[in-house]
Amino acid sequence: MAWRLTLFGVITSIFVGIIYVSTAPAIKAARESARLNALHDLAEPLLSDAHIGHAVLTALPGSYPSSLISPLLVTPIQANSRTEGVIIPVSTDQGYNGPIKMLLALDRNQKIAGFRVIEHRETPGLGDKIDADKTNWILQFNGMSYASITPELWAITKDGGQFDAFTGATITPRAVINALAETLRYLDEYPNALGIVP
Amino acid sequence: MNYKTILLNGLWSQNPGLVQLLGLCPLLAISNTLENAVGLGLATIFVLILSNASISLIRSLVPDAIRLPVFVLIIAALTTCAELLVQALHYPLYQSLGIFLPLIVTNCLILSRAEALARRESVWISTLDGAAQGVGFFLVLIALGGLRELLSSTLILAALPPGAFISLGLLVALHRALTEWVKNRHQTTNQNDHTERRVRTTGDIL
Repeated sequence: MAWRLTLFGVITSIFVGIIYVSTAPAIKAARESARLNALHDLAEPLLSDAHIGHAVLTALPGSYPSSLISPLLVTPIQANSRTEGVIIPVSTDQGYNGPIKMLLALDRNQKIAGFRVIEHRETPGLGDKIDADKTNWILQFNGMSYASITPELWAITKDGGQFDAFTGATITPRAVINALAETLRYLDEYPNALGIVP
Repeated sequence: MNYKTILLNGLWSQNPGLVQLLGLCPLLAISNTLENAVGLGLATIFVLILSNASISLIRSLVPDAIRLPVFVLIIAALTTCAELLVQALHYPLYQSLGIFLPLIVTNCLILSRAEALARRESVWISTLDGAAQGVGFFLVLIALGGLRELLSSTLILAALPPGAFISLGLLVALHRALTEWVKNRHQTTNQNDHTERRVRTTGDIL
């Protein structure tokens, strides 16, 4: 009896394996094009006569914050061989349920062109308001840069900052804002870290 | 069992969405737009046909004691394949279906067809039943999806979860009313036949 069950397990696993291997390239391509579409939405203000270039792995100097990884996958936004801005991944482990992955688009002057959460498992109806599909909360950062407010204000109101958290959910917006703030603070300190010369 | 009964059962008289009321979770959650409804419906048909066919194929090899684990293994494997295929063929649909695509594995419609029919009948009958039940489910999904999408532009409630329950209730009522109507009509025609066929067999014939 047991060996039969094992046999069926093995057969179905092999079957799934074959489908997995044969669809893997198509899935990778589809993911990549979905990613590019998301990048287009994000960097829209910069894209009037620019295009999204090839992503480059860039080693970060100094002590970089936990919201960034090194080497960092930096996607440049280029117009006539000039870099108009960059898109970088930002992430945090301080969320309520697993990592929150974000994308941040900055222009040449380190001003935020776009900021989105692209992957999260926060509580539906509470923490998931960080998702641009649910509310406009995440769009309030557009146009800001680290220097546009005093450093202490880069926090939720509960922590003495200027950004509202949601009723019933503090951990999620705090995690997002802290990740954004430490990323901007680091880039303020190392303006050339991402390879754009202002 | 004849083919006509199987087809009629799946599409109308034993429709999974309107009569058996199976697989309500995806039915109600995913019917908010027509596109989602079509995507999930096709994925469910795919899994249902293949699971019925393969369970029927191996029915003599599976002892009763390990029947359920084997069925679940097969359904889970097929659902994973469906998920991979949707990802490869239409990624935006994969994103909008989200958790409901892998949750096909828990759709009780699929396991109930395996238990009720596929483990006893031939491959051909089981495949046909899978197709009939799957298409029946698909039609209810798109009817519900279309109805809700149509109503939601004027009535926001239709797009929300309560709207799903109310719309499904209306469809179930419509289905019952139509079934009753067909039955009554059938009876009256039978009665008419009956009166016409009545002939005198005794007494004097002039």
